[in-house]
Amino acid sequence: MGIRQTLDNLEPHFHKGGKYEKFYPLYEAVDTIFYSPPDVAKTTAHVRDGIDLKRIMITVWLCTFPAMFFGMWNAGWQANMAIADGFASMDGWREAITMLLAGGHDADSVWANFVLGATYFLPIYLVTFVVGGFWEVLFAVKRGHEVNEGFFVTSVLYALILPATIPLWQVALGITFGVVIGKEIFGGTGKNFLNPALTGRAFLYFAYPAQISGDAVWVAADGFTGATALSVAYQDGMAALSSQWNWWDAFLGFMPGSVGETSTLAIFIGAAVLLWTKIASWRIMLGCLIGLVAMSALLNLAGSETNPMFAMPWYWHLVVGGFAFGMVFMATDPVSASMTNPGRLIFGILIGVMTVLIRVVNPAFPEGIMLAILFANLFAPLIDHFFVQANIKRRMQRTGVPAEETA
Amino acid sequence: MSAVTPKGVLTTPIFKNNPIALQILGICSALAVTTSMSVSLVMTLAVIFVTAFSSMFVSLIRHHIPSSIRIIVQMTIIASLVIVVDQILKAFAYEMSKQLSVFVGLIITNCIVMGRAEGFAMTNTPGLSFLDGVGNGLGYGFILMTVGFVRELLGSGSVFGFTVLQPVQDGGWYVPNGLLLLPPSAFFIIGLIIWALREMQPEQVEENEFKMKENTQPKEAV
Amino acid sequence: MAQSNNSIKKILTVAFALCIVCSVIVSTAAVALRPLQQINQELDRKSNILSVANLYEEGMDVEERYQEAITPRVVDLRTGEYSEQHDPATYNAFEAASDPASGRTLSGDQDIAGLSRQEHFSTVYLVGNPDDPEQIILPIRGQGLWGLMRGYISLEGDGNTFVGITYYEHSETPGLGAEVNNPRWQAQWDGKQVFADAESLDPAISLVKGGASGETEVDALSGATLTSRGVTNMLQFWLSPEGFGEYLARFRSEVSAEEVQDTTVELESEGA
Repeated sequence: MGIRQTLDNLEPHFHKGGKYEKFYPLYEAVDTIFYSPPDVAKTTAHVRDGIDLKRIMITVWLCTFPAMFFGMWNAGWQANMAIADGFASMDGWREAITMLLAGGHDADSVWANFVLGATYFLPIYLVTFVVGGFWEVLFAVKRGHEVNEGFFVTSVLYALILPATIPLWQVALGITFGVVIGKEIFGGTGKNFLNPALTGRAFLYFAYPAQISGDAVWVAADGFTGATALSVAYQDGMAALSSQWNWWDAFLGFMPGSVGETSTLAIFIGAAVLLWTKIASWRIMLGCLIGLVAMSALLNLAGSETNPMFAMPWYWHLVVGGFAFGMVFMATDPVSASMTNPGRLIFGILIGVMTVLIRVVNPAFPEGIMLAILFANLFAPLIDHFFVQANIKRRMQRTGVPAEETA
Repeated sequence: MSAVTPKGVLTTPIFKNNPIALQILGICSALAVTTSMSVSLVMTLAVIFVTAFSSMFVSLIRHHIPSSIRIIVQMTIIASLVIVVDQILKAFAYEMSKQLSVFVGLIITNCIVMGRAEGFAMTNTPGLSFLDGVGNGLGYGFILMTVGFVRELLGSGSVFGFTVLQPVQDGGWYVPNGLLLLPPSAFFIIGLIIWALREMQPEQVEENEFKMKENTQPKEAV
Repeated sequence: MAQSNNSIKKILTVAFALCIVCSVIVSTAAVALRPLQQINQELDRKSNILSVANLYEEGMDVEERYQEAITPRVVDLRTGEYSEQHDPATYNAFEAASDPASGRTLSGDQDIAGLSRQEHFSTVYLVGNPDDPEQIILPIRGQGLWGLMRGYISLEGDGNTFVGITYYEHSETPGLGAEVNNPRWQAQWDGKQVFADAESLDPAISLVKGGASGETEVDALSGATLTSRGVTNMLQFWLSPEGFGEYLARFRSEVSAEEVQDTTVELESEGA
């Protein structure tokens, strides 16, 4: 009762003519977190469904939790392992908090790993949320519409595809670019043709490649250098890769990488929920898999003497790098993906094929999923266009009447 | 367009009718040569020179140009001027011409020059055409210098080659933004400039090509 | 007016007149400015050579310093001998490589630098006395990440110790691979060794990631693995017997022979 009353008391200030008229979007955002919106459809023939944008977004957000928690543990574990090998730990406030809560760098202790990882991940998430949220609210206020919940998902996905050791100012720049250039200038949620989280990541990738390209790996121990699984495979071949990590390590996620991308298992748990609730399109995921398997099989067959990546089989492609995460959470973004059902399949296949192509053939970028999804995003409207046109043609043949008149 | 006055043709192309920001012409070279300000400046001067003189020459002989071959005639004049500029740069500013490489030659294909010759010089007096060429060159240069400033400052931490933000590679604190050294970044910057210009001068905003349909009234449903 | 403008006669006259005027202007500009341009190109090449030898200073007279300090010679890469067949001032190794008569095709295993063709003769630049040079400047080229990189390296008279490296043409990523021309990176080459020991003909010099240690290692360019690998490969190619290895052996054998003599003298004196 208290919350409703407080909100109702405050509400007049935010209406037209009120003191805080400009900040109505903020009020609305808070209000709808607690209560369903007052403006519901009243006519009879209206689809009624328990799910609205907010619930979809919160489900996706929850689905990232397995990957997120595993990622925090893994980031800490990787660092603690390196420290156990004789590298010094990073100084500063992160170290102080770790010492306070966990008391040391014990790689065998789940808690110590988790705390250390959290001191890296949580600040990234917080910065993403505050900076991205600032832009979101600024545009909402300026344009006079409500704050969209889509940002919940964008922020968590963006934070999860960053390496743990990224400087926080880069996090802020990246999310600014992602939200403003990737989404707001095209009109905000629902009108962006690129995935904003990936746009932000791509910005960082090209702007600060030395920190983020996966060449020098992201383990939070002083002076530790190494390479991500993909770089290892690219430079030294499959044998070197499988001697360092076996397939199960990679599948379960016991390897360095961006926070959320390492554990394919944890990601698939989220994927199962997304598919079960029908929030994510199974066609896109299936398409990605088909594209990945087909393209890597083709390259396996083709073979190459100079490029060891040609020999990487599809089940390795699936578990290293960010493919699983991209397939489950990024490619299925309902706004920037294809909208037609057959189009979704094609869209997915395009992503799978491009990912393998970029990983294997391109000399400069070890990881391909991010660019592949952005590339497919650009093609999504075109793919849809062909299927929509085909539908219209078929309908014309069947009925002899243009679609609009029967609608 | 405003009335054709000497002052008007010189200044309107800078903000009101900017060849890059409003007409979206000459984008290619704006992407390629804007990594540093000094290169942008030389490119700007070269384009001003070529646009001004090509417009003037085209205007001088405009009564004698047969309409069937007028584009070829304009092209020939522009190409000759560009080659002269290129040769002069190679002889007197070798370092600069090395950095500009093919892009001086590509002024020939810069739509601004052709556009002014065909759109303005063919129907106006030589003096006005000359000023119009200078004005459009300035408009082009304004965008080029702005983009160049942002890219050089944030991409390499310097302005006209003088270090302002000491980059990390040279022992400083500034981490240069690599994206700004790549040509596509100019797209973003030009886009943001266009946004800002249209925010200041709303009459530049284009009409919507189509309008979304309002939601259908629920009368069928009842 | 408009009608007469479009008559065949008028069209031809205008076209002809325009062609004449324009071609005169263009050719005058080209011919009149050519000598200046050639001087510029030469100066550019010469200042690159001087700068790799650490002889370049801002605002110096490049031409004079070059004439006084540097002697170009053409070397037969197959034997390592100097050749009088070609004039070093005009010989162009890059063109010679693609001519079947003056170059050879490299097969897959040999071709670590990604050249596909290599010339038989190459120009070297000697600093100081040509018979006992202070520095030997060698042209190198090879594939980087995005394309061919061309540059010079300079070695001390012992044919083993680095003085410097510079690239005058490359298309590497700005901020990453393009840091090959960052003076701070170039500075660490001074004093590095090409070969691990006096007898070896296989160059040991390489770029290593994350902290170079030892005489034959140089820090790789951060974030530019493939450019770094390209640089390593082209050095290993050009300094091996496939490239200047035979030629460098002349200087190295002199040095090592002297060293051997020195040690024997010492041993004798100790024994006595």
